[in-house]
Amino acid sequence: MKNIYQLLTCLILILSLSNFTVQAEDWGVPSSAKKKHNPYDANVKNISSGKKIFNINCKTCHGDPGKGNMIHLVPISPTDIGSQDFLVQTDGEIYYKINKGNGAMPTFEKTLNDEHKWMVITYLRSFDKSNRRSEKLAEVKNPEVTDVKLDLEIQDSSKYILAHLTGMTKKGKRVGLHGIEMSFLVKRNFGYLDISREDAYTDDNGKVETVFPYDLPGDREGHVDLLVKLTDDAFYGNLEKSQIVSLGVPTIPVNPLDERAMWGTRANAPIWIMVSYIGGVFVIWGVIFFVLFQMIKIPRLAQNKE
Amino acid sequence: MNDLPKQEETTLSFEKIKKDILHPLQNHKGLELWIVFLVTVIAVCGWAYIVQLRDGLGVTGMRDYVSWGLYIANFVFFVAVSLVGMLISSILGLLRIDWITPISRISEMIAVAFVAVSGLVIIMDMGRPDRVANVIIHGRFQSPILWDITVVTTYLMISLLLLILPMIPDLAICKNELKKASPIMKKIYNVLSLGYINTPSQHKHLHRMIKTLMVLIVPVGLAIHTVTSWLFAATLRNGWDTTIFGPYFVAGAFVAGAAALVMAMYFFRINYKLQDYITDVQFDYMGKLMVAVCLVYLYFNLNEFLVPGYKMKTGDDVHLKELFTGHWAVLFWCSQLLGNVIPIILLLMKKFRKPLPLMLISIFVLASAWIKRYVIVIPTLLHPHLPIQNVPENFVHYFPTGIEIAVTVLSFALALLIITVLAKIFPVVPICEIAEQRGIEVKIED
Ligand code: HEC
Repeated sequence: MKNIYQLLTCLILILSLSNFTVQAEDWGVPSSAKKKHNPYDANVKNISSGKKIFNINCKTCHGDPGKGNMIHLVPISPTDIGSQDFLVQTDGEIYYKINKGNGAMPTFEKTLNDEHKWMVITYLRSFDKSNRRSEKLAEVKNPEVTDVKLDLEIQDSSKYILAHLTGMTKKGKRVGLHGIEMSFLVKRNFGYLDISREDAYTDDNGKVETVFPYDLPGDREGHVDLLVKLTDDAFYGNLEKSQIVSLGVPTIPVNPLDERAMWGTRANAPIWIMVSYIGGVFVIWGVIFFVLFQMIKIPRLAQNKE
Repeated sequence: MNDLPKQEETTLSFEKIKKDILHPLQNHKGLELWIVFLVTVIAVCGWAYIVQLRDGLGVTGMRDYVSWGLYIANFVFFVAVSLVGMLISSILGLLRIDWITPISRISEMIAVAFVAVSGLVIIMDMGRPDRVANVIIHGRFQSPILWDITVVTTYLMISLLLLILPMIPDLAICKNELKKASPIMKKIYNVLSLGYINTPSQHKHLHRMIKTLMVLIVPVGLAIHTVTSWLFAATLRNGWDTTIFGPYFVAGAFVAGAAALVMAMYFFRINYKLQDYITDVQFDYMGKLMVAVCLVYLYFNLNEFLVPGYKMKTGDDVHLKELFTGHWAVLFWCSQLLGNVIPIILLLMKKFRKPLPLMLISIFVLASAWIKRYVIVIPTLLHPHLPIQNVPENFVHYFPTGIEIAVTVLSFALALLIITVLAKIFPVVPICEIAEQRGIEVKIED
């Protein structure tokens, strides 16, 4: 009996797997879909926002583009979608595949909006060696610099945070670096909270600012750990700056064990439950002791035989 | 319900009642053999407990997931059976139902024995029984465990008093009549009878005390089994997380207790030759009572399983399917059918309410009641909310080990021993109450 079950399971497994393989080979991209064009410019902004979306949604399976470090899945592992072999496909074809999914590749039709999907494609295209479009359109034209520095300026009263990105030119002049995205992060219990405003790119002077949220709690003194860093390490490496700032709302931490509660220690039991317990015990045992006490009377009552 | 049939009005004199009831206390060889047998069982199974004490709870089948096993199921069963004392001698007694007079003391003896052992069962389930005092020393008012320990001891105390107080007149008789009793027993009779000589003021005083305790034990009896159910219902586990667990347990307890009482009645009727006292009438009424409590229990079971079964919400579904058609189906349906549905149908017929058939049915009811507790405790623990992963094979299943079974047998032997010893030294049928009920004058000498 057991053998039959094992055999059956094996059979079902084999059948479903073979079915899977058949499906996996066939994306069936219609030719009309292949002709679709990416309506977005291949500028630095779009590429870097595409990278962000890719890192959140695709990297877990596909790994870093061009590095071939995807996870291994059966029967078909995710493609390295930064490789030249893959990038021969048209934008429309890639767009269609992201939308539809296939086998272990999920569909992103509803999970990502059109703009985001095109951004990802723009990002992937930036790895395409045969396509010079992205370079042509690249906007960032910062001079070549050394000794890149990130400085922070904080105004406690208005909760205003200004980041200033500068570098030293060959001529020995410190200039602002523009068009670089910056992330403003605040450390919370489980990781970092992003408080950057939208389009947090440095301006022509290399400056970008954000406002610290008015309702974000800090410790007793309002201290929080602030971390400001370059969102994309492609330009000047992993440059970041962390600092303790007192911009948070001063908050006295509550220990849930300090209040009277069902989960509390005995000393912190809710009053009503203590009253019920102690009261109940006193009343019931009071009556018991009363009865025990009354028992003493029985021998005495033997005397008066009225 | 108060009309005893005419045939009962036999020509019993006070002397004959005394003789009939006191006779087995001194001249019963079989009883002594039975005690020897129980003591042997206790000695053998006690060794199993010693092994558990020495090697720790690892000798049981309990692991991280099933941390409440046979012992707790057995504990719930013992508490349930002990509730018969409150049902018969208090609730029916307060309602002045008179057919219970000859069996009320037996029910009180069962109550005392089972509630006392239920406390021991909990201690037997502890790896470090020496730490039991910590429940009192560090117990939290919010924890059902503290409440449970409290109500179990309170119920034991009141049950003991309700056994002894109504027995005081009979003890005075024992003091006078049992000439052959050992000196220790004479002393016990003497002390416990409190110089009772049945003066009107003593009689009135005694009955006022008994009445007080009978009222007092009703809330305590309800509390003991409701709190026991809270040990389960206060958690979020599938199958335990239900609002009707309190009354559900109480109803189930009445079923188990009534069945246990019928078995004890039958045993004493035959062995102590008490056919004139524990008559067919008592069995007939017990049969009817059993139908009544079984119907209430059936009603709770319908609610308990039909409503979640209709919704089949996530988590409950696995649990319920395992009960209805899965691994636990045989035990589950046995307990429902043999312990509830079929007895109701059979006991509607008068011929099944005769002593022997009723006793046989009660065996099934009691066994099913025990199985039911097992099915309430263990399956839920095997279906935790988070999947069981990466654990040793023996965490995933539960089956009691030999040690556990032996220790459980020990608890039964202990309870039976307590009942036997009580029935050996005290009259199992109240002499004076029977006489009073039949209009016979009670005479107790100084
Ligand atoms: C759960 C893992 C997983 C995630 C997340 C995932 N993919 Fe895939 N992807 C796969 C697998 C597996 C395949 C190969 C499927 C096949 O060929 O049948 C694949 C194939 C593809 C293909 C087609 C490759 C080819 O050879 O034509 C594209 C394009 C693609 N993924 C894009 C993306 C993008 C863009 C994202 C993020 C928005 C993403 N994938 C997220 C698993 C994933």
